[in-house]
Amino acid sequence: MLAYIVRRTAYGVLVVLGVLFFLFALFFLVTKPDDIARKAIGDKAMPAVIAQWKKNHGYDRPLWPGPGHVQDNMLVEHYRRMLTFDFGRSDADDTIILDRIKKGAGPSISLTLPEFAFGVLLGIGFSLFVAFFRETYIDRSTVVLSVLGMSVSALLYIIGGQYLIGKLLRWFPISGFDPSWAVRARFLALPIVVGVAASLGSSVRFYRTVFIEEIYKDYVRTARAKGAGEVRIMTRHVLQNAMIPILTSIVTEIPFLLMGSLLLEASFGIPGLGSLTVDAITGNDFATLRTMVYIGSLFFVVGQILTDISYTIADPRIRLD
Amino acid sequence: MFGAALALSALVSCTNNPYPETDDGRRVLYTSFSEAPKSLDPAVAYDTAAHEITGQVHDTLLEYHYLQRPYSLIPGLATRVPKGEAQTDGSVLYSFELRAGALFQDDPCFELGGAGRRTREVSAEDVAFELMRIADPVVNSPVIDPFSNLSGFAEFSARLSQLMKRDPGFKRLPARERYRRALPLPGVRVVDATHLELSLKSPYPQILYWFAMPFTTPVPWEAVEFYNGQNGHPHLADHPVASGPFLLSQYDKQSRMVLDRNPNWYGAKHPEWRAPGATYPSEGEPKDVADGRLAAAGKALPLLDRVDFRREKEAIPAFTKFLEGYYDTSGIIRESFDKMVKDERLSPEMQALGMRLDKSVIAAIYYIGFNMDDAVVGSKAGERSKKLRQAMSLAVDVREYTRLFMNRRGVPAESVLPPGIFGYEAEYENPYRHVDLGRAKALLTEAGLDNGIDPKTNKPLHLTFDTPDTSPDGRLRYQFFVNAWRQLGIDVEIAATNYNKFQEKVHDGAYQIFLWGWVADYPDAENFLFLLTSDMARTKNNGPNTANFSDPEFDRLFLAMKARENDPERLEIIRKMRSIIEDQCPWIELYHPEDYALLHSWVHNVKSAGLSVPTLKYQDLDPTVRREKRAEWNKPVVWPAYALGVLLALVIVPGVMTFFRERQ
Repeated sequence: MLAYIVRRTAYGVLVVLGVLFFLFALFFLVTKPDDIARKAIGDKAMPAVIAQWKKNHGYDRPLWPGPGHVQDNMLVEHYRRMLTFDFGRSDADDTIILDRIKKGAGPSISLTLPEFAFGVLLGIGFSLFVAFFRETYIDRSTVVLSVLGMSVSALLYIIGGQYLIGKLLRWFPISGFDPSWAVRARFLALPIVVGVAASLGSSVRFYRTVFIEEIYKDYVRTARAKGAGEVRIMTRHVLQNAMIPILTSIVTEIPFLLMGSLLLEASFGIPGLGSLTVDAITGNDFATLRTMVYIGSLFFVVGQILTDISYTIADPRIRLD
Repeated sequence: MFGAALALSALVSCTNNPYPETDDGRRVLYTSFSEAPKSLDPAVAYDTAAHEITGQVHDTLLEYHYLQRPYSLIPGLATRVPKGEAQTDGSVLYSFELRAGALFQDDPCFELGGAGRRTREVSAEDVAFELMRIADPVVNSPVIDPFSNLSGFAEFSARLSQLMKRDPGFKRLPARERYRRALPLPGVRVVDATHLELSLKSPYPQILYWFAMPFTTPVPWEAVEFYNGQNGHPHLADHPVASGPFLLSQYDKQSRMVLDRNPNWYGAKHPEWRAPGATYPSEGEPKDVADGRLAAAGKALPLLDRVDFRREKEAIPAFTKFLEGYYDTSGIIRESFDKMVKDERLSPEMQALGMRLDKSVIAAIYYIGFNMDDAVVGSKAGERSKKLRQAMSLAVDVREYTRLFMNRRGVPAESVLPPGIFGYEAEYENPYRHVDLGRAKALLTEAGLDNGIDPKTNKPLHLTFDTPDTSPDGRLRYQFFVNAWRQLGIDVEIAATNYNKFQEKVHDGAYQIFLWGWVADYPDAENFLFLLTSDMARTKNNGPNTANFSDPEFDRLFLAMKARENDPERLEIIRKMRSIIEDQCPWIELYHPEDYALLHSWVHNVKSAGLSVPTLKYQDLDPTVRREKRAEWNKPVVWPAYALGVLLALVIVPGVMTFFRERQ
């Protein structure tokens, strides 16, 4: 297994290096250092001030390596900073990026973790329930509702949730965040409900398919023939054997919980890492954006490896070579 | 989903109140911000979002009178507004006297000046230090130009650059030491702790306005040294140390900024001084009496205990919270404009809620400019192009434009100067800023462009409208003007590019028509009219005169106007400059934008400034009325949760029962 992990890690390194290259190339294809400077110090700034800003932030160097500047160029500096985890300061406001990441991780996790946990538990719970009542109107109507739910844009869930639950019913604040836990729960309730609702359709449909496939396997029939109860069959046998595809979808997501949710955080005003990334995109903040993309790609690689390892735990027959 | 919602709802006691209940009875003004300030360093901060904070925490030597219009300066941290004293060598001297005994807010940085110190008195040295910071290339202040008129300022800045180039270690020295080595700076003289003299190379009365902005606030050297982003200390850009009426007690760019009263402020320490900047004014415009803004006359400032800024990235949730009573003031979002405003007045529905609408014209102008260096629309083509520009101006219906795109939130502009600025005359009518297609066509005929046909090509005259706005909304706006000119037979093509490409075009002079705007730094005609002087030409001098307008008489009048105080002669000069612009038509003046602010019944003393100036110390609110209204407007509706529960049971239970019956 160690050899497998080493090999996957080496592939992962290549993926991360490629992501960093494409990020750099695409960003500077559409944005020039002058744009970054203007966003940071304002349109009214005189050209000399912009030039000084670029010099102070290292954007006065050539983009690509070339004769006379093989080392001293922005691409090499980009790789140097990322590979040494020297994220530096934000282009938009000069704050230390690592500090902002540390600060944003808490709000992100307090949103994504319960959303993820509720989503998985409700998804599995509902799916077991409808699989249990398969081929009844409960099953069929749940499938129809799930497909409908999958078809609706996440934005509509957000706007609908804010309008219905926040504005009309006045159960929770429509948006915002507060660091104190007593008030924070109020703010997080609505985005969690919306996030869970938005993901429930696809997860119920997926898990239900997995469970139903298991239900018709021979070992279930054997268990039933031996007199095992339906509830025991579902929870002990079917659930356990359906864990591999479920784990695939769950474990990959776990590292990304820290990265926050772009849409939910931006829409509900939660100051997490998703929000930070959206700000970096809209603010031409290359330094922050590359850090977030870099961390995201690292998490992706880690997620893939963790998923593979989790197979061996869920099913001892699987060996990673 | 609703089950989870219900459980969570029960868990958090089901309320949409976004604030801790403990704040209910306090004079806490709740407001929102969408963009976090980029920097709170007063030498650098130049955006409105930053001034919203720096303006409240940094005291300035001078301030604007809160209620009077046109804008007038009053003493702030200075004891009086100084007058420029002309010197025999042509220079002008300004003497500032600072209030003795004014203190900075408590801060650990002052321990650098002695163990256990938490604050110290504000000194003239701190103002001089801040002026040196503006000159410092390391600070990279965007307002270095206006201070270049201070004797020796540019030389001081150049010496700092040279010393840095010569010795790489120089940059790492404490700012105070670097400045000491780069002296002299003869234009800035600290006479003693409370007296500062400024010497300008030539008359520039507008320099006083810069002392009503946070750029020139006193900054303690201790704060610059301590808050350097090292040893776990934040950067000065995130931690202001100041002497104003409020202090920044909480600063999280992503979610929240909180201003609390500064107990060290001279107004709080010495209310007996009755200083103009620390006492609510007792004079204002007649409208202020009618609107009840003089009820607080004579009260010691600030009136609020706290100002709580919450971040709202999306406009609709922020506006919803305002309607729920959780924000005290708000702008009006486009989606709800028709519900809020009827016939340019607050709708009866909103009036019934006790709301008020506060309108103010922003000291700004938006205009269509012609590149005067261009061979077709520019001055090189002489009378022909002048008549073309005049004709094009006569085709643009700005009232229709503001109706279609801005909910009429704009005052049609007749000249460069907006209302509230000395030189603006409400009765003035620009003969080329009213729609008159007949006269426009006649002018085109006189220009040899009969029905818009270019005799060289025998086709409609083809021009390009260069814009950095590629959005669909922007396209519609630009198309409005193109359609207007099409009525004259002129074919104008929209050349939309990204901002950078547009800047390149402007730099190379490869543009014909553009749309631009200018928001004033300070309320003086000079801050608008300089936009059309030759020295400020964009293509030649990289200045903000994007029209590249150049007229020797206009330039001469500008210099005469710039050096004068507001008097009848200055007004006469401004009129002459206006008539040159009217005749030459380098701009089609469009509108001065208007700000519509909604206020709840419990908010008092709000008067929009139209400029980026601090006003929070004058504002007040009644927390008791607010608490009652919030409770009345925000009762949770819980019956749908129960109804949903019953509905779910009705659907599921028969299914479950049938299932088990069949299995048995």
